[in-house]
Amino acid sequence: MPNNMLKFTLCKAGLFNFAAEINLAGVCGVFGDSGAGKTSLVRALIGLDEQFIGSVNFNNNVWQDDKHFVKTEHRQIGMVFQEPRLFPHLDALGNLTLAHNKRSLYTIETLAKLLDFENLLDKKTIALSGGQKQRIAIARAILTAPQLLIMDEPLSSLDAHSRALLLPFIKRLAKQIPILYITHSMQELFYLANNMLLINDGKIEAVGDPQKLFIDPRLSLVKHAHSGLLLNVTCLSWDETHAMLQGKVDGQAIYLAMDKPVEQEILQIKVESKDVIIATQQFPHSSLQNCFTSEVEQIEQISASHILLTLNLGKQKLLAKITAKSLQQLQLKVGQSVYSYIKAVSIIGEIT
Amino acid sequence: MLSELDLSAIYLTLKLASLTTLTLLIISPPLAWWLARSKLFFRPFIESLVALPLVLPPTVLGFYLLLSFSPDSYFGAFWIQLTGSGLAFSFAGLLIASVIYSLPFVVQPLQSAFVNLDKNYLEVASTLGFSPIKTFYKVVFPMTLPSFIIAGALGFAHTIGEFGVVLMIGGNIPGETQVLSITLFDHVETLQYEQAHLLSISLLIFSMSLLILIYGVLQKRQKRLNDA
Repeated sequence: MPNNMLKFTLCKAGLFNFAAEINLAGVCGVFGDSGAGKTSLVRALIGLDEQFIGSVNFNNNVWQDDKHFVKTEHRQIGMVFQEPRLFPHLDALGNLTLAHNKRSLYTIETLAKLLDFENLLDKKTIALSGGQKQRIAIARAILTAPQLLIMDEPLSSLDAHSRALLLPFIKRLAKQIPILYITHSMQELFYLANNMLLINDGKIEAVGDPQKLFIDPRLSLVKHAHSGLLLNVTCLSWDETHAMLQGKVDGQAIYLAMDKPVEQEILQIKVESKDVIIATQQFPHSSLQNCFTSEVEQIEQISASHILLTLNLGKQKLLAKITAKSLQQLQLKVGQSVYSYIKAVSIIGEIT
Repeated sequence: MLSELDLSAIYLTLKLASLTTLTLLIISPPLAWWLARSKLFFRPFIESLVALPLVLPPTVLGFYLLLSFSPDSYFGAFWIQLTGSGLAFSFAGLLIASVIYSLPFVVQPLQSAFVNLDKNYLEVASTLGFSPIKTFYKVVFPMTLPSFIIAGALGFAHTIGEFGVVLMIGGNIPGETQVLSITLFDHVETLQYEQAHLLSISLLIFSMSLLILIYGVLQKRQKRLNDA
């Protein structure tokens, strides 16, 4: 029974010192600043960098230890590099056929339909755009029937159409194949990942749920988070008279101004911490549209005058920046239930 | 008209060049691959050995080959034990000499193609689960095909033009070791200029046609890649 447990300790003298143990189910984000060592880590995991010493173990199979080094071609990892790297001497179909493994969950035809490249199969690879190439490269990696799929910033330089197609696809695919997804995009991470490896300065700084790690004041992520977190909104309906979209965040209603109906199921929004107003009682007569019932999870003093509150909406979190004076006046405590009014949101619609 | 002796020399030359090229195309790719990738300290030594025929006068090479073909040498004695006949002044000896003599002309284009081959594609091949053999046939070979064509053509053409080495180890036995270049030399020495002309022009036209054909194929391929 595969348990998808990935365990590793990998060192490269003076540069990297990675160690973690993580259960890979769904998408696991590998997040960190550029230069932190994300790509170096995955190259070591795949076996492309033999200068790393240590051990790697996946699904109870030893990939590397003091005595063994399983070559890349025997690790059954599907890899999507940052650049598509299609073989230039073959057309799109040739690239896919060459990689196709009988045990693959998908056929070339299914993937061509899902990733919208049916009419590109007979094209030479140099005739394809970056986004088209990357979609075919992703299909090629899936066709090898991998036990683990690793994607290194696959969307970093793609057009909107390819991104819109790929993100939901990757999310669905992760139900069948565990995915390690390298990114430095907070949007992609919050949309896809249910788990993450945080890389900082050549080390694994933390492992866990992105929603939790981003608000942990002890981690290097805090600088990304202070300005606000991302929320996934499930879209329900669009009201034409008011040009408003109705959706839900963790079961609570939300209204977003939208000029036209959205096609996607999940919309991502960013709520800046300065745009959240906290109240201990509801105030009905105001222009504020969105109010969430939430629980104070954490109170953190970020400067002499300001406090950062972490509010739990159910599964997702919201950050609110209030003054120390307000905290005192409202007498807020951890665990207390409060009303969070949202003054403004920015819609990160392009992502899905 | 070409005499029977001339025709037999032409046949022998083509046979020698074809077999030499075939042998070289089998042994050179692994050697070139090793030279392109190896980080071992003695690589420059092997590389120099392969390149020697480029700088040595063919007669020097022929002289040492003649010595090693003699039944008194280890190699010569071993060969006689194995096959029952000596190598000096035989077609087999000529073939071995040609392979050594033309080796750098086949190895070097391949080596430089392998050095320039984008390592990224080899990484992709290993993540697709390809064995090294499959990677070679499905990725390396098709991607470096023009270099294989050039290597083969150079090896073939160079063997046809061989003279000094043949003179040293093959001698001049019609039908066995008398190749085109030697026959031509004979004609000139015996003042048969008409025969020499005929043979020379045939060789010239043949070589030119072969090269035009090969470079034409390469140009077409290049154009196809650019247009696609």
